[in-house]
This record gives sequence, C-alpha cells and structure tokens, in this order.
Amino acid sequence: MKTAAASLLLFVLVMAGCSGETQESAESFEISGEGIQIEGAWARPASEGRMSAAYFLITNFEDQNDNLISVQSDVAQLVEIHESYELDNGMMGMREVPELEIPSQSTIRLEQGGLHIMLIQVTRTLADGETFELTLNFANHGEQIVEIPIRL
Amino acid sequence: MKKRAVLFNLQLFTFLFLLSSCSSPALDDYSDVSYELIDQNGETVIFPDDFKGAPLLVGFIYTNCPDICSFITANIGKVYNELEDPGNTQFLLVTFDPERDTPEVLKSYADAFDMDKEPFRFLTGDPETIDSFMQRVSLRTQESYSRELENDERMYFLSHTDKILLIDQNSRLIFDYGGSMTPVSILIEDLNKL
Ligand SMILES: [Cu+2]
Repeated sequence: MKTAAASLLLFVLVMAGCSGETQESAESFEISGEGIQIEGAWARPASEGRMSAAYFLITNFEDQNDNLISVQSDVAQLVEIHESYELDNGMMGMREVPELEIPSQSTIRLEQGGLHIMLIQVTRTLADGETFELTLNFANHGEQIVEIPIRL
Repeated sequence: MKKRAVLFNLQLFTFLFLLSSCSSPALDDYSDVSYELIDQNGETVIFPDDFKGAPLLVGFIYTNCPDICSFITANIGKVYNELEDPGNTQFLLVTFDPERDTPEVLKSYADAFDMDKEPFRFLTGDPETIDSFMQRVSLRTQESYSRELENDERMYFLSHTDKILLIDQNSRLIFDYGGSMTPVSILIEDLNKL
C-alpha cells in the first residue's frame, strides 16, 4: 500500500511540473461591496518606447453585467485589452479583446499569461516603485481611474 | 505476490511516464554546434562553448512581448534570487527577434528587470545564426498581428514557442520546459540535481 501511494504522489507531482497550472479567468465568490472594484493592480517596469502590461482583478458588485470597453493612459502610445493564448500549434500568441465582460457579482482576473492591459510604446520609463494612472471605461459604470504601481 | 507485481507495474509505468513526458536524461547535446552571439554589452560569446563547466538556464524571448516573455524573464531572475547556492550557474535570455532586439535594446530591457548584471546575459546575433539556433532548440515563431502607431511606425508581434531549457555543464540538454508556466520551484529543484 505504502508503495502505491508513493508512486501516485510522484505521478501527480510530475504532472504538475510538466503542464503547469490550468487557470480560470473568471470565478464567483461571496464578498460584499458595491459598484466596480479594482484590486491587486500592478504593471511591469519598462524603459521609454518599450512595452509594458498591467494586471488587476475587476469585481462587479452590481446586479447587472458590465463591460470594460476601453482603457486609456498618457504613459503609452496605445493601450489595449489583450489576452495571451495558446494557438492550435502549441505556440503562445497575443490577441486584442475588444470588450471584456464582467458578469454581475463576479470577478475577472487579469494576470500573467492571460488577460492583460497592454501598454504599447510607453512614453516615459516606468521604473520599479513608481506609479501611473489608467482610466478604465465601463459601459454602465462609466470611467474609473486606477493607480497602478510598477513592480517586478 | 500477485499484489506486488501490480505495484511494481505501477511504478514502472510511473517511471516510463517520467521518461517520456519531460525528464529523460540528455534530450540533446549541443557540443557539436557553435553559435556566435552578442550580449547586451556588445561582447561576443560562443554558445555553448563559453558556458561549458557550469549549469545553464536559458529562456527565449523577444522584448516587444510584455506578458509571456516578461514572465519568462522575471522567472529566470527569480530562480537566481531564490537559489540557495547559485554557485557558477549561468542564466541566459536569448532573443528570437534579432532585427529589433539589438544589444542596446536588450540592455535597457535587462535594466528594467534589474538583470543587467552577472550572472545574467541577454543575447542576440545575426538573423541567420539566431535562426539556426532556434531551429536546433525547436523554437518556432510567426508574425501574429501589427499596429500602425501615431508616429507612422509599424509595431508587430510574434507568436512563439514558450520555452526555457536547462543545460548541464557538458552542454547537454537535460530539461525542456514550457517557459512561462513552469513554477520557479520546479526549475530550482531540477537545477539542484545537477
Ligand atoms: Cu499584449
């Protein structure tokens, strides 16, 4: 018995090592709040003229679904809602997400290797420890300004 | 006795699975190649000869990729920071976009990650050399989409294989990982076995 259990454990560890974690981009849980809440925001450092990505959690406490329709910032030439995804041939690519639906009473996770706010050609160097502002435009909820800390 | 045999088979299966899935010893041996590359300081280096004698962790990136490739770069930085005894382990980030990733570009990218220092090296080269290197390590790329910017520049992005390699002191490939999704703890564990 002992041997079988050990083998099974090994099997599970190997599986985890090779395939990495599968990730969910949406989940529901019960916390209280109101409106749209942004948490855990951060962005990658980048030197002027280069790329960065911003990440955060968006929770919609309203009874209606909402959509993140655009994002603006004066720290980049172009700001887009993006998603990294695996192509059929196994390669990793990135695509624009025209609108991001935030269902009622749920959280959407922007995180490394998945959904992100893409900052194309930043207009100033974004250094570790600094912050910048992003303006998120929601269909129902309107404009929301978020302070994004830059870190590694 | 019969029960024993079943258990043994289970172990054998596990062992075979290990071999076939990701950890067979020496997946390749790079001793027969010699790629002349340039680091972020403009210094010429030869892969793999200049890195013989020490374990080598190699990530493949292009610097216009802020999500997946930043993830790879940051993870390689983390492996170094979290290794109890990095010893003489070397850490390379090799670009598969040599046309845009010049040594200067790599230097500012490395600096943004606080990795423009030993034991990290960011490498580029002439497109033909990089191309042979990428073929040898089975790294594929394809242009995905582009954007016209206000300054009339065309910005393009690449789809690419997501990869980190662990190479031993004798230029043999020991592990081939999915780069961005491999937990740092697994990379550290495997490095510690070398
Ligand atoms: Cu992107």
